[in-house]
Amino acid sequence: MNAVTAAPGAASRALAVLVSLSLLSLSASAPPPPAVEDAQWLARAVVATADNRAAPFAVVDKKNARVFVFDTAGRLQGSSPVLLGLAHGDDSVPGIGEREMSRIRPEERTTPAGRFRTEPGRNAQGEDIVWIDYDAAVSMHRVRATVKSERRLERLASPSVADNRISYGCINVPAAFYDAYIKPALGSRRGVVYVLPETVAPHERFEFLSRPA
Amino acid sequence: MNSTSRLIAALALGAAGAAFAQGNPPTTAPPNPATAAGQQNPSGGPMGSTGVTPQNTQGGSTSGSSSAPTAQSSPDTSSSSSSTMAASGDTPAMRRARADRN
Repeated sequence: MNAVTAAPGAASRALAVLVSLSLLSLSASAPPPPAVEDAQWLARAVVATADNRAAPFAVVDKKNARVFVFDTAGRLQGSSPVLLGLAHGDDSVPGIGEREMSRIRPEERTTPAGRFRTEPGRNAQGEDIVWIDYDAAVSMHRVRATVKSERRLERLASPSVADNRISYGCINVPAAFYDAYIKPALGSRRGVVYVLPETVAPHERFEFLSRPA
Repeated sequence: MNSTSRLIAALALGAAGAAFAQGNPPTTAPPNPATAAGQQNPSGGPMGSTGVTPQNTQGGSTSGSSSAPTAQSSPDTSSSSSSTMAASGDTPAMRRARADRN
C-alpha cells in the first residue's frame, strides 16, 4: 500500500526537480524575455528614488507571469516564470486573509499589486516562505504540486502565460529558483516586492514614480 | 523563696508565654500565592501547555484556516517616507506561522 501511494509522490518530486532545473537553466542562459524591459524600467526608478532603502527587491510582472530579482543596487540577479492568482485584478478582497481557502470564490483569487514590504516567515505547515502581505495571507513560496488536478508544475513549464493563473493569490516560484534567488535575497531579511498592476497604470500603485529622482 | 513566690513566678511565666504565642497568630494567607499554592495552569491543564499551540499541527496542505487577529490591509504603496518602512537590511522577528493562500 505504501509503495502504491509513494510512487506518485516520488514521480511528482522527480517532475518538480526536472521542471525546476530546466526553468533555472532557461532563466540563466536564455536571452532576456521582453518582459524584462518593464521590470528593468521599474527597477531603475526604484533605485533612482532609493525607494528600496538599500534592500534587495523583486519585481513581479503579472501580465507576463514573471518575477525579477534585483540586488540592492538594482542589478538583475535572475528571473523566472511564476504562478499567480487565478483571477485578474489588483486588489485583495477585504478580510480574505482570515477566510478558509474553501470559502474563497474564484473571482476573489487575485494577486494584489503594489509595493509590499516583505518579511521571511513560515506558513501553517512550517515551510519557509516570504510574506508579501501577511494580513492578506499572500506569500511567495516554492510551487506546491499537492493538488494534481491543478497541474502547477506543468503550468510553470509551459511557454504560455495564460495558464499561469491558478493560485489563490500567492506567488508560486520554481523550487530551484526560490532556493537560488528568492531565499538569499528575501528569505532572511526584509525586502521589497513590487507587483506591477494589470488593471491600472503603474503610477497609480507606485507613488515613488511621481517623485523626482 | 516560699511557695507563694514560686506560684507567682510560675503564673507570670505562663502568662508571658501565652502572650508571646498570641503575638504571631498563624495565617492561611501565604506571602507569595504563586509559589505557596504551587504554579498552576489557570485553565486546569498540565504545566507546559499554556502557550499558543503552533498551527503547523493542522492537517492538509492547503486547507488550513487562519485565526490571525490582524485585519485586512491594503498594499503598502507609500513612499520611502513611511514611518514603518524597515526594509533596510534588518532582520525582523518572525511573525506567527499561519496559512497562506497557496
